[in-house]
Amino acid sequence: MSSRSEWNSIPAQRPGDAAHTGGNLLEVRNLSKSYGPVQVISDVSFDVPRRSVVTLVGENGAGKSTIFNILSGLTAPDHGTLHLAGAPYSPPSHRAAVAQGITRVFQEQSLVQNVPVYENLLLGEEARFTRFGQWVDRDAMIRAAREIVSDAGLDVDVRRKTGDYDFSTRQSIEIARACLTPKLLRGVTEPLVLLDEPTSALDRRDEESFFSLVRKIRQYGSLLFVSHRLTEVLEISDVIYVLKDGEMVTRVTPQETDEHRLHGFMVGRERATDYYYENRQQTTLPVTPALRAEGLRVLADGPEISLEIRPGEILGIGGLLDSGKSRLGKAIAGVIRPLAGQVAIGNGPLRRPDIGRATREGLGYIPAERLAEGIIPSFPTAWNFSTGSGGDLFSNRFGIWHGRKERRAVRSHIDTLAIRSATPDLAMSRLSGGNQQKVVLARWLERKPDVLILDNPTRGVDAGAKQEIYRVLRDLTDQGVAIILITDELLELIGLSNRILILQHGGVVAEVPAPADAKPSEQTLVGLMLSDPGQAAPPAPPVAAPAPDAQTAAPETQLEAAE
Amino acid sequence: MTTAPHPEGRTFLSPLTGLFAKVETSLWFPIGVVLALFVFFSFATDSFATLRNFSAVSGQAATLLIVCLGATFIVLMGSIDLSVGAIVLLVGAVSVSVLNALNIGWLMIPFAALVGAGLGLVNGLIYTRGKIPSFIVTLGTLSVFSGIALTLLDGRAIQFNAPGLENISIGQWIPRLPNIALWAILAWVVLVVIGSRTRFGRYMYLIGGGEQVARTAGVPVERYKLYAFALSGLLAGFGAILAVARLGAAGPSLGSDLLLNSLAAIVVGGTSLAGGVGGVHRTLIGVLIIAILDNGLNLMGVSQFLQMIIKGLVVIAAVLVSRKSGADQVIK
Repeated sequence: MSSRSEWNSIPAQRPGDAAHTGGNLLEVRNLSKSYGPVQVISDVSFDVPRRSVVTLVGENGAGKSTIFNILSGLTAPDHGTLHLAGAPYSPPSHRAAVAQGITRVFQEQSLVQNVPVYENLLLGEEARFTRFGQWVDRDAMIRAAREIVSDAGLDVDVRRKTGDYDFSTRQSIEIARACLTPKLLRGVTEPLVLLDEPTSALDRRDEESFFSLVRKIRQYGSLLFVSHRLTEVLEISDVIYVLKDGEMVTRVTPQETDEHRLHGFMVGRERATDYYYENRQQTTLPVTPALRAEGLRVLADGPEISLEIRPGEILGIGGLLDSGKSRLGKAIAGVIRPLAGQVAIGNGPLRRPDIGRATREGLGYIPAERLAEGIIPSFPTAWNFSTGSGGDLFSNRFGIWHGRKERRAVRSHIDTLAIRSATPDLAMSRLSGGNQQKVVLARWLERKPDVLILDNPTRGVDAGAKQEIYRVLRDLTDQGVAIILITDELLELIGLSNRILILQHGGVVAEVPAPADAKPSEQTLVGLMLSDPGQAAPPAPPVAAPAPDAQTAAPETQLEAAE
Repeated sequence: MTTAPHPEGRTFLSPLTGLFAKVETSLWFPIGVVLALFVFFSFATDSFATLRNFSAVSGQAATLLIVCLGATFIVLMGSIDLSVGAIVLLVGAVSVSVLNALNIGWLMIPFAALVGAGLGLVNGLIYTRGKIPSFIVTLGTLSVFSGIALTLLDGRAIQFNAPGLENISIGQWIPRLPNIALWAILAWVVLVVIGSRTRFGRYMYLIGGGEQVARTAGVPVERYKLYAFALSGLLAGFGAILAVARLGAAGPSLGSDLLLNSLAAIVVGGTSLAGGVGGVHRTLIGVLIIAILDNGLNLMGVSQFLQMIIKGLVVIAAVLVSRKSGADQVIK
């Protein structure tokens, strides 16, 4: 990675080294916490040195969120001590934590959509801008907000409505708020910023400004970071702590480890050499398509998209967050009505897609927003599992529900997919993200689908469960299931797909073949995602002919020759 | 996997013990309230704990229960039906008009239920096709239905002329139990089964708990919303003909207290207005609380105005106590 060396050179640029300018900003000793019988973290100790980036990594359920909750005052530990800047620290509330200089960016966005950006940036700080008690000095607020935005290097008009900005920009706004308000407004000289998966929702364009913001904060404060992206973790951290099952496994520095070893610490084993089971990728595909889409239009002024996918194939769809790739997935499945276009499943006729009919014809759809569209967290596992099959598998034609059959089916999936700690009656909210996703997967596996559409199937899923999901996907393609994989994770997109479509502004700008022995590189795909399709002669890899070098072009001809 | 991967120790008694185990802990509180009210009024008045009074209470509570059963499904799926009282009034007015014109006798019952279902379907169609919040739709039809009914009745109470029909409500096939109460209990049993053992029931919970999740999984959400409104109308129609038969007439005040009482009973029973939580089985307890409170306060000679105050406070208190503690959710 090119930026890796850049990062490692940063400590040298800093005035004075963290190690000898006053030790640790935060010291955590023997922290334990249990919810009922479940010990979430036990005897965890770690340090956050002054002016440093410390990262906690671990699978879902390893206890990272609990540690963050304790540090930000949302919950109290059972045992253990915390010291902030040398003084004992035990915040009774989130507000108290913020007052002492610990701010946090939550995994889910906490911005109010329909107010101007500056009000969000200064949320909870209005008291600083009031005159005569109640009168809010709007101009002063806007001035302060502009300072935050320009410090963070964001191109944002603070007077515009927050909801006008896309998801990625809003995430940047939230990060800027957590990082910069402590120093600029509250005069905290040594802030500690807690970042929970901050970049998972960031556009590649916004990532760079995030990294430069991190560099800036590190000149006076510290950051404690949680991330599933190990490459990124290795790039930005000074120190990495690995958690496993609520216990601290090890402390390493990026210089002395790599992604594979880190992963090994997290799951207790080395990462398998073939993480994406590329050797199991189907090479010869039947000619008749499993699904055909004609003239789909998903954005108001976007072009039409036609595509075909064959049994056993994994068709990857990539693009930036605003490329319309999620909408395309929903439109093919019929979850939303496309503005135009038709879809045929199997030998069926071309029709306006409709998810109800599509599921009966053998299609399954796994949405990206798991908590909003995938599962009902307060409902039992069995109910979430059977949601897709209520019309046929689990009720008869008089509408009588087959409760026992439902429980039997969900139990067998819990066993075969190793959905840990799940029982048919347990509320889904009690399962980790990875296990929740397995239940959603089981919902469609039970229907023995011919086509599966997956939108970011491993978002918020720990490394162990991720690999199990990949294995299931390969099992499915072995059985001839066609899979449309929409994902923001480039490595996943490259590793799993037979063929990759790159989307921009609701249209396909490139089709990249990705046979097991000639996978395209990340740089190629990013280039295609960012290239300007409007230009007559694009300087980047040519869009019209997506295989500029012989290496990637050749396998495609092989593929077609094989049929 | 071999024979029994999950031994559950089934015995011939397990359906029964299972039933008790299944009574959610959150149900014990409303049941406790019923018992407490019962004990309180038994001591406070002489006439409360008499068979004669229980007959009277069951007659009064029956219409409320029948109407609430359908409305509970609506609340369960996260919508609201404000028009049930108006449907009762309109079906009552149509029924007496038809009864006085044609002598169709017992057939009046299915006829009234179907008229009610039709009115519910109107609600449902406007709601699902027009994508208008159910609160607005049923607030509108509440006024429309009442207006039509009062026009039919010409603002007066009209008696019906069908000898023997009143027997379906005030007769006593089981001694001391008015038939209207028997119908209500039967309807409750049927709807509890529908709620817990059918696709319709499951979909009501799914739509209330996560409409978008259900839709994304291919559940025909709009169709089932329509069914729910038709069912609510059907039961309101059924309740209306029983109430008319019981009173011997349909007047402008028929069903006027149902709007508040039905929502109060559903909510006090423990079905959340947010949707997805609760169920028809709980509504029976809510109805009992409202009915006993009404009856007991009347017997104690408490004024109507004070009764309104007390009932309002009980509804708020019931929700306050049964609310999940520490749940930091947005309340609208």
